[in-house]
Amino acid sequence: MTTPPQTTVGAIRDGSWQRYLTFSLSTWVTIGLLIVVTALNVALQPTFFTTYSLTSNFATFAPLVFAAVAQAVVVIGGGLDLSIGSIVALASVVALTVMDGEPSRVAIGVLAAIVTGVIAGAINGFIVGVIRLQPLIATFATNSVFAGAALVVLPKPGGMVPSTMTTGYRSLVIGIPVSVLIVVLAIVLYWLLSRTRLMRHIRAVGGDRSAAFASLVPVVRVQMASYIVAGAFAGLAALAILANTGSGDPFVGSSMALDSIAAVVLGGIALAGGRGSGIGAVAGAIILAMVSTVLSFMGVPTTWRQLASGVIIVAAIALSVVMSRKDQR
Amino acid sequence: MKKSHALGLAAVAASAALISACSAPATSGSPAASSGGDGPFTIGVSNAFVASEYRTQMIDAIEQTFDEYKAEGVVDKLVMENADADVNGQIQQIRNLINQGVDAIIVDPNSATALSAVFDEAISQGITVIAIDQAVDSPDVLNVGISQQDLGAASAEWFASAVGDGASIVTVEGAAGNPATDARWAGAEPVFAEHNIEVLTHGDGGWDQATGQTVATDLLATYPNVDGIWTYDGMAQGVLRAVEAADKTDSVTVGGEARVGFLRMWTDLVDSGSDFASVGVINPPGTGATALHFAINLLQGKELDQSKVTDGHSIILPLDTPVTNDNLADTWAGVSDQADTYVLDSILSADEVAQYFQ
Repeated sequence: MTTPPQTTVGAIRDGSWQRYLTFSLSTWVTIGLLIVVTALNVALQPTFFTTYSLTSNFATFAPLVFAAVAQAVVVIGGGLDLSIGSIVALASVVALTVMDGEPSRVAIGVLAAIVTGVIAGAINGFIVGVIRLQPLIATFATNSVFAGAALVVLPKPGGMVPSTMTTGYRSLVIGIPVSVLIVVLAIVLYWLLSRTRLMRHIRAVGGDRSAAFASLVPVVRVQMASYIVAGAFAGLAALAILANTGSGDPFVGSSMALDSIAAVVLGGIALAGGRGSGIGAVAGAIILAMVSTVLSFMGVPTTWRQLASGVIIVAAIALSVVMSRKDQR
Repeated sequence: MKKSHALGLAAVAASAALISACSAPATSGSPAASSGGDGPFTIGVSNAFVASEYRTQMIDAIEQTFDEYKAEGVVDKLVMENADADVNGQIQQIRNLINQGVDAIIVDPNSATALSAVFDEAISQGITVIAIDQAVDSPDVLNVGISQQDLGAASAEWFASAVGDGASIVTVEGAAGNPATDARWAGAEPVFAEHNIEVLTHGDGGWDQATGQTVATDLLATYPNVDGIWTYDGMAQGVLRAVEAADKTDSVTVGGEARVGFLRMWTDLVDSGSDFASVGVINPPGTGATALHFAINLLQGKELDQSKVTDGHSIILPLDTPVTNDNLADTWAGVSDQADTYVLDSILSADEVAQYFQ
């Protein structure tokens, strides 16, 4: 294939920039980071293993964990989804409106959140897969569309989540916090997904689109499917947010797109696609959330905290580049 | 129901220290746990919107008052969670405070409802929670602040008498759907109706001077014959700039704000011999410091005088005398060396807050 000389703008426009990001953290780095940040957290917070602390920490992790798995599926497929946060917001306000505070409608609410996520994902998938717009630009645009739709559904924060959801989210099942189980559920769901032919195809398309096409992988359909699966996980993230807050907010999740991408990178997934696992993204999300807790316990002034967590993420990514270059030698 | 809420609050207040001492695992890192209800207490603050002079002033006032208490040995540590965040982020802020074993949390909430669940988490661990600036629905959280509705009414009263019965006006308000904006209009609407004042249209100023100026400029072009533009803090200086640019300060009445930048323009106009008149109703950022006094009293086991509590869990602070042309010169003399963004402030003293307790 002959390609004309690349300009930066050209690379962004045709999406080839993503191909340069072939580095990924080795699994050991991710595990190491997780251990370090957990050890720091335990050392700084003597109450870390109390029931309340575990429940509340995992309750905080869960929404980002699902968003990170969503992002992981898309990124492994060679795409990118900047609209994850607003899909979460849209799915949460739709589910909230459908449930209307009635405990009897929780099941319908769960369905509504997932269906909303799937529809939003299908729109992304259609634009990226069929129309073949670049994911960065396409999902940046749909991000506004979904955020706007969320505002139409729920113009201002409010509404009540059925109390069964909020109390259930904070309860224990045979001594284990439900929020911990929910994070485990995210891992199990991804593990099940990874054993399907679809996920193998997604990985193949992300690794080498032309090769996948040549091997009779239905590339367009697979690409669409990756966004749809991501939408479904975003729907689950929305439910976790609803259970966590107990109320609706059309502006929720605004930081989620970038956080989920950071989690994916920390989790050892190559932004170029094809490599990595959603389970790594779960670890990445937990690392990211814990960094913020650790900084809080270290007494880092809040004015510095955003800077500090940004520097830590950049450092982790830089580390991954260095490690992968060593591998190549 | 309301009574039981009040009782619940009193019970929380009285037992806060006791429970925090009992729930040793959750507060073992805090000296307050070992010394019981006598302190020294650890105070947590959660604020999830920092890009505002109002909030900066609020945090500064809390820190100052905290230092006074610290010098007396009443408190030992102030834990700040002060960074931009959405509700989910503010929930994490509050959980960080809970996990650090604070005895009381002063929160400027992003939402009236979305923090209820995490407030329950705090209260169930014996932590006293006080909401400032925006009231929350949780019956066990004490709201401390002025009534935004009263502020709207006070500003509208002055405005109605300035433009006169039967006048036609437009408004530049905060943001549609925003609680404070809605509450202020709820206070102003009946006043305007009573004086047969016709409100031609409502503009959104976005709580921002520049936006307020743009919106007011458009409104003046669309409705050249209006008698006045009713607005308030956040936008008033921008609106006044638009009116000045249109050379209408003598014919269009402008609702004002109690901020230094606006007072400066107002004073300049008066000094230049203009008949310009306005009003600035004070929305004091110092409420945060006032709330700290409440927190200390509650932590020391004092009980609120229920006759001074509204809705079972709200302390409505009285409004200060608004700034008008009558007291402008005196007010200006006191704040003329402050930055334009400074908001006129008032903090209740410890003695004044003690009046709210039995």
